[in-house]
Amino acid sequence: MRVVDHPILGKLPEGRTVEITFDGHPLEALEGEPILAALLAHGIQRCRTTVKRREPRWFYCGIGRCTDCVMIVNGIPNVRTCVTTVGAGMKIETQEGLGRWERADA
Amino acid sequence: MHEVEIAVVGAGPAGLSAAIEAARAGAKVLLLDENRKPGGQLFKQIHKFFGSKAHYAAVRGIDIGCRLLDEAQESGVETWLNIPVWGLFGNHTLAVIRDGRAQTVRAKKIILATGASENALSFPGWTLPGVMTAGAAQTMMNIHRVLPGQRVLMVGAGNIGLIVSYQLLQAGGEVVAVIEAMDQIGGYAVHAAKIRRAGVPILVSHTIREAHGREQVEAATIVQVDEQMQPIPGTERRLGVDTVCLAVGLTPLAELGWMAGCGFAYIPDLGGFVPLHDENMETTLPGLYVAGDITGIEEANSAMEEGRLAGLAAAEALGYLREEAISRKAEVRQRLDSLRLGPFGEKRQRAKERLLGECRGQLAKQEPPDVSKSCQDLTRSRITVVTGVLSLEELAGSPGYPSQERLRSGKVAVIECMQQIPCDPCVGACPRGAISIAPTITDLPVLDAEKCNGCGLCLPACPGLAIFLVDLTFSPTETLVAFPYEYLPLPKVGTEVEAVDREGHVVARGRVVRVQNPPRYDRTPVISIAIPKEFAQVVRSIKRSGKR
Ligand SMILES: Cc1cc2nc3c(=O)[nH]c(=O)nc-3n(C[C@H](O)[C@H](O)[C@H](O)COP(=O)(O)OP(=O)(O)OC[C@H]3O[C@@H](n4cnc5c(N)ncnc54)[C@H](O)[C@@H]3O)c2cc1C
Ligand code: SF4
Ligand code: SF4
Ligand code: FES
Repeated sequence: MRVVDHPILGKLPEGRTVEITFDGHPLEALEGEPILAALLAHGIQRCRTTVKRREPRWFYCGIGRCTDCVMIVNGIPNVRTCVTTVGAGMKIETQEGLGRWERADA
Repeated sequence: MHEVEIAVVGAGPAGLSAAIEAARAGAKVLLLDENRKPGGQLFKQIHKFFGSKAHYAAVRGIDIGCRLLDEAQESGVETWLNIPVWGLFGNHTLAVIRDGRAQTVRAKKIILATGASENALSFPGWTLPGVMTAGAAQTMMNIHRVLPGQRVLMVGAGNIGLIVSYQLLQAGGEVVAVIEAMDQIGGYAVHAAKIRRAGVPILVSHTIREAHGREQVEAATIVQVDEQMQPIPGTERRLGVDTVCLAVGLTPLAELGWMAGCGFAYIPDLGGFVPLHDENMETTLPGLYVAGDITGIEEANSAMEEGRLAGLAAAEALGYLREEAISRKAEVRQRLDSLRLGPFGEKRQRAKERLLGECRGQLAKQEPPDVSKSCQDLTRSRITVVTGVLSLEELAGSPGYPSQERLRSGKVAVIECMQQIPCDPCVGACPRGAISIAPTITDLPVLDAEKCNGCGLCLPACPGLAIFLVDLTFSPTETLVAFPYEYLPLPKVGTEVEAVDREGHVVARGRVVRVQNPPRYDRTPVISIAIPKEFAQVVRSIKRSGKR
């Protein structure tokens, strides 16, 4: 959920939006926000599943330290979504286990 | 290879302050941070700070951050962002990643200000989506403007747990409970009182047993613990929550210090292993300085002062400042000492003294100083703080409370701040000189109720939101109570509201008489409500009106 009105921070400034895709679905994101925040704003609460037991994982530290929030971004797995900014047309996918590489040059 | 005079690692309050002082002194300074934005933890801190004027008291952390960024730019600090420092070789060479490549930076002096990381707590279910550190929740809602959950269980009632709980309420979330394993809260009573008034229960001697859910957190089981911190069977309770926030302490981030090989000491009161440093913040490796949370967990004010000290000392060592250095450093040290007074600061002051002692000892290969000195108990202040709510008896004996006669004679301030914390903005806010805090900044505020005319200017200036106005003469049947209220939506004048006591219980109906929110209150609106006379000493806020 976005915090639109805030008693201290004021109204959320109207920024530019960019379109990204999440597991194939188009989503609107705010320019400059981390991928994780964009997904959270749309109620998506899972970034990946674990290697052995396929348990769901979301974010934990929010500042790039724990790697819980990694996803496949533009074909590259293990990208920390809490510290990676969205970009127009960015392709974001839930990472199953260690994920897989989608080699652009292959 | 890049060469500079002084390199500062970490652009939080400590690193920024160090870089500014050193650059102002004339040194060529490079400031590095792995984040895209400088400021460290400061931009998450949207509350007004404690301390004195010299420490930016009553200014919000975000605004202090903006000032520091301006000052860094004006003083000519070169800043490299999005650059992680992954190595420190000896005391002069940093290894960084820049443009995807490993590079080195050579500096005559290096200041480490890398801050701290949040401690984890493991329990069944702690890996479920919805379990996160309190700092993560703070980052999401205050920086990225997204609320991570609707119903939160906060684990830990230190200052971070209390402040983040308050901020969750401000962002529109609900805090179902704050639990604390100790038998009393660890943070300031005034921070706790804010969320208690908002109706948030604080359960001391409680811990989390399990987080439940398949895809994400759906509930959590908490349990009471005995004096040995052992769970008491039969006291389990299940709370319906979608988020569990962990605020269970911080650990200094000192890997670069280990890598360089400087001396360390293990000091639990400072958060674990911390690099030894001397009066100039210099480690046991000449030319390597430390400042801020890396040298022991404190707060943003002390981080800034330590940063200034390190910046001044490093510049001085390079031949800048000359005679001026001694007096400037003395000023900073004095301010640092004032932040470490009182029952909360004393422990840290003793721990810091031990650090200095061990540093000298290690350098001179002397006997280590008496360790037991730093292990004394926290001196209790005059009140029994369990969850931050003061009893009427305690308040009656407070130097901030007006006498019954004075209360009967008309509008007057009522100060509910009874813990020795380093804070004094209320003193400067009063145009009539009715509040004094002496001789030290941690003494309790004393109200000279005869001088007070009830103007209310001290209310928004108090970072603890601990001052209220009471006017028993408002009408024959009603009393006027005014209180700070930093939530949305603000109530409208004339509307009926539910008046709550210090624990957030609805005790009476009230009518909104005034809503003041001028720019000089800096986003701390003051609400005045009329309530039945008998509730004058009971009502301290209103029930927040539902979800936004
Ligand atoms: C999550 C959290 C919330 C807090 N909330 C409060 C609060 O509300 N009020 C309060 O008074 N105190 C709070 N604190 C306590 C804290 O002591 C201070 O607020 C203050 O931020 C400490 O300043 P600092 O400069 O030492 O560290 P920080 O502000 O943490 O800054 C350190 C900086 O160094 C960077 N860094 C670290 N390692 C590297 C590296 N290897 N390479 C490059 N850059 C690096 C980090 O990214 C960061 O930007 C909080 C601390 C944390 C961790
Ligand atoms: S209400 Fe006004 S006069 Fe009274 S203590 Fe506060 S600032 Fe001073
Ligand atoms: S009453 Fe004064 S000393 Fe106490 S928290 Fe408020 S401003 Fe600080
Ligand atoms: S949540 Fe920890 S790295 Fe992203």
